[in-house]
Amino acid sequence: MPASRDARPQPRSPLVVEGAVKHFGGVTAVDGVGLEVASREVVGVIGPNGSGKSTLFNLIAGMLALDEGRVWLDGREVTGLPAWRIARAGLARTFQIPSLFDNISVRDNLLAAAVEGDWKGAPGRAGEVLEMLEIGHVADNLASELSGGQQKLLEFGRVCMRDPSVILLDEATAGVHPKIRRIMLEAIRRVREAGATFLVIEHDMEMVRETCDRIVVMDAGRVVVEGSFDEIADNREVRRAYLGRRE
Amino acid sequence: MVSKPSRRRLVATGLALVAGTAALTALPAFIDPYSLRIVTGVLMWAGLACAWNIVGGYAGYISFGHSAFFGIGAYVTGILMQSGVGMPFLATLPLGILVAVGVAAAIGGPTMRLRGAYFAIATWAFAEMLMQLATVLDITGGTGGLSLPAYLNEFFFYYTMLVVALAVYLGAWYLLERTRFGYRLKALRDHEPAAEAVGIHTTRVKVQAFALSAGITSLFGSIYAYWVTFIDPRSVMGPEITDQMVVMVLLGGLGTVWGPALGATVLWVTNRYIWSEFGDTAIYLPILGLIIALIVLFLPNGLISLLPGGRRGHGVLTRLLRKL
Repeated sequence: MPASRDARPQPRSPLVVEGAVKHFGGVTAVDGVGLEVASREVVGVIGPNGSGKSTLFNLIAGMLALDEGRVWLDGREVTGLPAWRIARAGLARTFQIPSLFDNISVRDNLLAAAVEGDWKGAPGRAGEVLEMLEIGHVADNLASELSGGQQKLLEFGRVCMRDPSVILLDEATAGVHPKIRRIMLEAIRRVREAGATFLVIEHDMEMVRETCDRIVVMDAGRVVVEGSFDEIADNREVRRAYLGRRE
Repeated sequence: MVSKPSRRRLVATGLALVAGTAALTALPAFIDPYSLRIVTGVLMWAGLACAWNIVGGYAGYISFGHSAFFGIGAYVTGILMQSGVGMPFLATLPLGILVAVGVAAAIGGPTMRLRGAYFAIATWAFAEMLMQLATVLDITGGTGGLSLPAYLNEFFFYYTMLVVALAVYLGAWYLLERTRFGYRLKALRDHEPAAEAVGIHTTRVKVQAFALSAGITSLFGSIYAYWVTFIDPRSVMGPEITDQMVVMVLLGGLGTVWGPALGATVLWVTNRYIWSEFGDTAIYLPILGLIIALIVLFLPNGLISLLPGGRRGHGVLTRLLRKL
């Protein structure tokens, strides 16, 4: 655990990012991004492809090393910690492309997500998650046998198994059947009510409008604007970021 | 755990195990000494294949260095049983395991951060280095080899191999299919970043698996040395030992508990048949190569997938090949 590098009081919000910077060679993928997510808040991160959203997620989750900046999770600085330690500190995430344990069953995927937590209670919890996500009928199938939408549900189910305080969702409803989308949104609502805080990357504006309390718009690695859905909907900077031209 | 196979399947497996153990226990009364030697070999190779499967099939890392651990066990027993030291055979076994586990933990730390072909090359280079070392050291007898005190009791070696192989398989079944450790291994095999994202310290788990696998391999190396009474670097550290372990696992079923035993039985009996028919086993290596090609093309889940309840899909082998 890195020592505090200044006299700044420890942030109390579940997730705080300060001045995050990441370069890939000559390209600056994330350029001084700062954000704070309050308890039980759902914050959406939107922006065109290549704007640095997924890189930001990887920096928060410890899968990429920050070049500059700091990250706090539940008031504890996690800057520079490996991904597994950040996960144990209370962060859970999904990936843009579902990253399942393909060669084990759906139920075993859920159990595998609980190996560092309440192992004895895991079977019961897995049953609840299967029911909540309506994938109990495929519990004994291999994860690789699921449809794309079911895979997204299972990945979210793995997140639920761990009872995390902060959840990063990367395009959780992209391209899924409306029924699966409904199940996912309902599950997000329930997990949020249970106390979780969300940071969500999403291209599905309907989902963003329905779910997010606040939206952060990124372009070229920077936060260009943030606010409620209505506030950003007509924002000139947002249009420019998406359409690539001045009005 | 919830994921236990159905009770019926568990009972069937248990009954098959009890029946198999009873048959194997009674077997020496019904077969000639040559056949007994072949079955003893089958038990040894089944245990070795199971050991390799922990790293290759469950952790998803192809090790080409396991012959080194076999050799470590053989040499620890061989050296400690020399007349100058005179340690009893059984006392040498834990020491062999200890040395192999220590070496595996030491080299596993850096090498298990490597992925795919890089790990395979690193382990192969390590085994080659150790074999070369054994050819020049006085304590190993160099290329001249090392003779052990002869104990010409085939029953002793048969029952020793039987007990150890059974213990290894039951232990592997429990550890890999019933505990957190097994779930950690399968998670990192299937998707390492996702495994880290659920809090698994993947490097630590991989090193644990590597060390466990090395310890088991060393144990069989120790028993083998006392069994054959003479060892040299090539016979206990040659790459053919690892090659055979790999092919046995692929043939039986990568990442399954009982598949390696099946693969070892088929291959070792084939090996001995070729030897008895043709007087040498030169043709055996091309057969191994052919088997690998056929498995990759037509039977990616191995022979065990042909049995009722065998695994579906093409996952573990495909994922392993993609890593190379």
